[in-house]
Amino acid sequence: MEFLKKQAAGFYLALITLIFAIVSIVFYLINCSTSYFQSYGVNGGLIALTVIAIILCIALIIGSELLGSNIYLDILPVITGVCLVIALVTFISIRVDSIASIITFQNNEQTMSDLTSAIVGIGGCLMAVIFNIIASFFRIVKE
Amino acid sequence: MKEKNGARKRRLWRGLTTVSTSLFTLVLAASLIIGSFRTDIDKFLGTQSTRIVTDESRDAGDLYSYKSDYTSTAELLEAVEALGERMSEEGTVLLKNNGALPLSENETRKISLLGFSSYYPVQGGDMGSSLTENTGTDADTVDMVEAFTAKGFEINPSIQTMYENLKESYKSTVSSWGGTSDYYRAVAPSTTGYFTSMEPSQESLYGMDEDWKESMKDYNVMIVTIARVAGENRNYMPGTEGVDPEQNLNQTDPLGLSDTERDIINAAVAAKESNNGKVIVLLNNASAMEIDEIKNNEGVDAILEAGLPGGYGFYGVADILTGDVNPSGRLADTYAVVNANSPAAQNYGNYEYTNADSEYSINSALVEAESIYTGYKYYETRYADCVLGQGNASDTAGSSISGAWSYENEVSYPFGYGLSYTTFSQTLDSLEVDLDSGTVTASVTVTNTGNAAGKDVVELYVSLPYTEYDKENLVEKSSIQLLDYEKTDIIEPGKSVTVAVTADAQNMASWDSTCANAAGTKGNYILDEGTYYFTIGNGSHEAVNNVLAAQGKTAADGMTEEGNHENVKTWSLNSFDATTFAYTENGTAVENQLEDADLNYYMPDTVTYLSRSNWKETWPKTYKDLTATDEMLDVLRNDIVQIKEQGDPSSVTFGADNGLTLADLKGVTDIEDSRWMSLLDQITLEECMIRTGFGGTSTKAIESIVSPETIQNDGPNGIYSYPLGQYANTDTSSGDPCAVDENGKNLSYKFGTMCNETVIAQTFSKEMAAAYGTLVGNYSLWSNLTILWGAGVNLHRVPYNARNHEYYSEDAVLTAYQAAEYIAAGRKYGCIIAPKHLAFNDTEINRSGISVFMTEQKARENELRGMRASIEDAGALGVMTTFNRIGCTAGNAHYGLLKNILRGEWGFKGLISEDFITDAIYAVLKEAVHCGVTMTCNTGENDMAAVSEKWSYWTVENVSRDAVMMQDLKNCMLWQNYALANSNALDGYNETTRIVDVRTWYDNMLTALQIIFAILSLGAIAMYFKSAGMKKKE
Repeated sequence: MEFLKKQAAGFYLALITLIFAIVSIVFYLINCSTSYFQSYGVNGGLIALTVIAIILCIALIIGSELLGSNIYLDILPVITGVCLVIALVTFISIRVDSIASIITFQNNEQTMSDLTSAIVGIGGCLMAVIFNIIASFFRIVKE
Repeated sequence: MKEKNGARKRRLWRGLTTVSTSLFTLVLAASLIIGSFRTDIDKFLGTQSTRIVTDESRDAGDLYSYKSDYTSTAELLEAVEALGERMSEEGTVLLKNNGALPLSENETRKISLLGFSSYYPVQGGDMGSSLTENTGTDADTVDMVEAFTAKGFEINPSIQTMYENLKESYKSTVSSWGGTSDYYRAVAPSTTGYFTSMEPSQESLYGMDEDWKESMKDYNVMIVTIARVAGENRNYMPGTEGVDPEQNLNQTDPLGLSDTERDIINAAVAAKESNNGKVIVLLNNASAMEIDEIKNNEGVDAILEAGLPGGYGFYGVADILTGDVNPSGRLADTYAVVNANSPAAQNYGNYEYTNADSEYSINSALVEAESIYTGYKYYETRYADCVLGQGNASDTAGSSISGAWSYENEVSYPFGYGLSYTTFSQTLDSLEVDLDSGTVTASVTVTNTGNAAGKDVVELYVSLPYTEYDKENLVEKSSIQLLDYEKTDIIEPGKSVTVAVTADAQNMASWDSTCANAAGTKGNYILDEGTYYFTIGNGSHEAVNNVLAAQGKTAADGMTEEGNHENVKTWSLNSFDATTFAYTENGTAVENQLEDADLNYYMPDTVTYLSRSNWKETWPKTYKDLTATDEMLDVLRNDIVQIKEQGDPSSVTFGADNGLTLADLKGVTDIEDSRWMSLLDQITLEECMIRTGFGGTSTKAIESIVSPETIQNDGPNGIYSYPLGQYANTDTSSGDPCAVDENGKNLSYKFGTMCNETVIAQTFSKEMAAAYGTLVGNYSLWSNLTILWGAGVNLHRVPYNARNHEYYSEDAVLTAYQAAEYIAAGRKYGCIIAPKHLAFNDTEINRSGISVFMTEQKARENELRGMRASIEDAGALGVMTTFNRIGCTAGNAHYGLLKNILRGEWGFKGLISEDFITDAIYAVLKEAVHCGVTMTCNTGENDMAAVSEKWSYWTVENVSRDAVMMQDLKNCMLWQNYALANSNALDGYNETTRIVDVRTWYDNMLTALQIIFAILSLGAIAMYFKSAGMKKKE
């Protein structure tokens, strides 16, 4: 209880960013294993960027808990944002052809189902970008 | 407090730094990847990233090789509208008429339109050949009510209001990702869905207007519209499986009637009792419906089959109703009593392999066990055998009733049938078979014996001998088959014309997979010894009856009616002939190429194909739950061709400096001309590899030979992928005779307005098919859209394929000539109208990967016969391949079909595109290139890294050691550029032409945004440090 009282808005926003980033990577991996997309392989760059973003997000939260509003931690949401944006653009670019194909020429229950995980993953990544930006305006812990 | 402000400022600038750097990263990343999607972005936004620069003072006279028949887009669109109307005038089929039609002028003022589809008709497919509605142009599209009103009809306003007020009840919601789309007309089921009848109940109608029936006293000409929709990637499942299980409307088949549809027809019939009016049923469909109960309903005075009439076709339907035009259409399909009882329908559905593997697009198998017997070839052959008492034809197998099979119980209206407001007599005056020239020539006198002027159709049929040899070697023979057809001009009452029909005799040859051939192998076209019967008739059934009459049969033998033996000519062949058609027109010896399309090739004795030698014992069973063998899996896994070190790579030249451009070969039709090789030597290996990999939605520019980007468009109901003005030349100062005013009101027009292909087939008019090709050719010149995937030549194997609207007919010959005339006419204007899909795209279920199995006889005598004329006769310069497999082999990897038949036997020299296959494994790039497929349908950045990322084996290092693959690549580029050089894509090009990159507005916008966000980022960072420093100081 005492721990929660100490947390500022940035903590919750960073946590939401973290959750969306995890959702994004999890659904990306789920998507890569679906019938339609399994032959497309796994994009290592996208994974790496999202993992880095997740680590930085965790580091920001833990670092703030330990060090308070330390000036050296301020760089973390900036880098997180860059990583997430590149991951988002990559995610969209490697799926956009398939999305176009599925919603037009190959539209059936199976492909639509397979597509859902891609859309959720992209949506998760987009939300992570947005919440990371919002979180960066707030402090993690109350001084 | 000050400390708090400092911290707040720091967080503010940290946040703004995050915002600005995130946005900077976004626009930077977008700029970097935009090249991969530039073509499609340009198409979407209407921008152009390259510009063609030509010194027009050089060779000005030859700069624009193709000339339009029109002087403005207004004239062009007037022609589009006029042809749309005419096509329905000639393609609407009058199936039943007790004298109710045509309507008098007075009757056209008393129209009650019944059925919700009268107000919300189906004018195109749900997807594919969809209607593009146009407003504010010189050719605005109209629906039924608008067309009828424009033609002077007065429509019952009470009933119109009643139906329009019920609009929300017709709403069909179709799911798509991220939301749904609502349609206020009938919709076609998805490949896993079922049909839901949206026809309102009588209770609903009464609930809206309890006096609606009373209103029909004053409007007693009752037209009831019954519709079924079509669509790409759509499907009707046979029988009750295809009907909405939550509806209880006594509907036994999605193509049969529901109770609410019956009720509205019967309501009209009942109203007629008191108002002394007329009941006309208008069928608004592309897949043949089950309409026997309408046919037998004595209260229904007339039935018109209008198809999906596009944006202007209802004008034509109105002209038919009033008698301004005498109907002359003929059915392009058999209308069966129960569609699900055909032999083809026994294997139509979703039959997954037990060892399906989505990684390799291994999904399901479709065994076409009916052999050649689809459509009328089944119904009429079985009927003939019933009369002839052979092959257990009267057995119960396939019967729609519990007893023996009989024609009357199976067919409502036969293929080729249609009525007129007048009567005609036809006499087959003479017939000559000349095997030396490969022709069958008939002379037919057509006399108008009625009281109205009109056109008639001469349908020439042949009945081939079915011999013991055939039975032993499993060669099947249809008792009757269309050989050719011609439509007359308008014949005045009492007048006669003589029609000459010159048919290709190869269309009566049979494929015998066991016969020795000139190539020294097996597989050949044969003509059996025996008597050949040639006849004419209003449809296949009248024709077969004529033949049976000539064979001495009468109604006493079980014929449905007496035939006319006087309209039969016979020709005897004294000995078995395996030489006349052993070579194709270009001298290629034919041989089996599709043995592996037969499941028995991999799994011997698994499939029993239907044979007229014994209908009972060979009646198709349903082949499902198949397990692919290891041998099959080797092929199904799509890795057939290996790139390896072979040949002498140095023997294949790339990147030479021969000083040629594609414009130097503009119009050069001789593909053996040495300049072609010189030109192709200039191209680089990288260019070949990128262009074959990324064909996408346009053939991209090739800088080394100045080959232009050429836009591809979907059809077949017109060039509708882009508005007329998107690629039109707006530089009126250029010498382009088709340059347009950039502010012209027609530039937003989209030409997805023609009727569906089935209506074009129903015209039975080669002239109309050619007129459409001429129109498309002209449109191509004005719109600068050269390639049209516009001639669907797959056959209507069953009515359940909801994509039948994009294909002509169940018959190969009707398909072949309608497509060939269309394509040939388009070519005169430099438009590449490409037939699709090669081949056997017979279902939309699991189409990307489905294994389609059949005999080679079926393949060659049905679908391939339907496409052959497009290549051999019309000289098509483009072909689209298919989603499905040929047997186990991916459609783009079947060497026998693509290389040996298409390019070998038929002599095809043009470009080939894959269908929209984005899966890298199933796109089989290396196999496709080896088979002469010049491009896949993928897009990507114009560099090797992008194409190699998609196909890891597609690297310069890998391919450059394989001389065979390198030559395959050059061949593909030769064929692709040969096609473009002989099209209007090079209009405006000469040897001075150069391709220049230009920056689009979105390039400039991205650059500006990069600068802005970079400055903002730097500013935010600076301010952050300033505020951080201030805080520290504090």
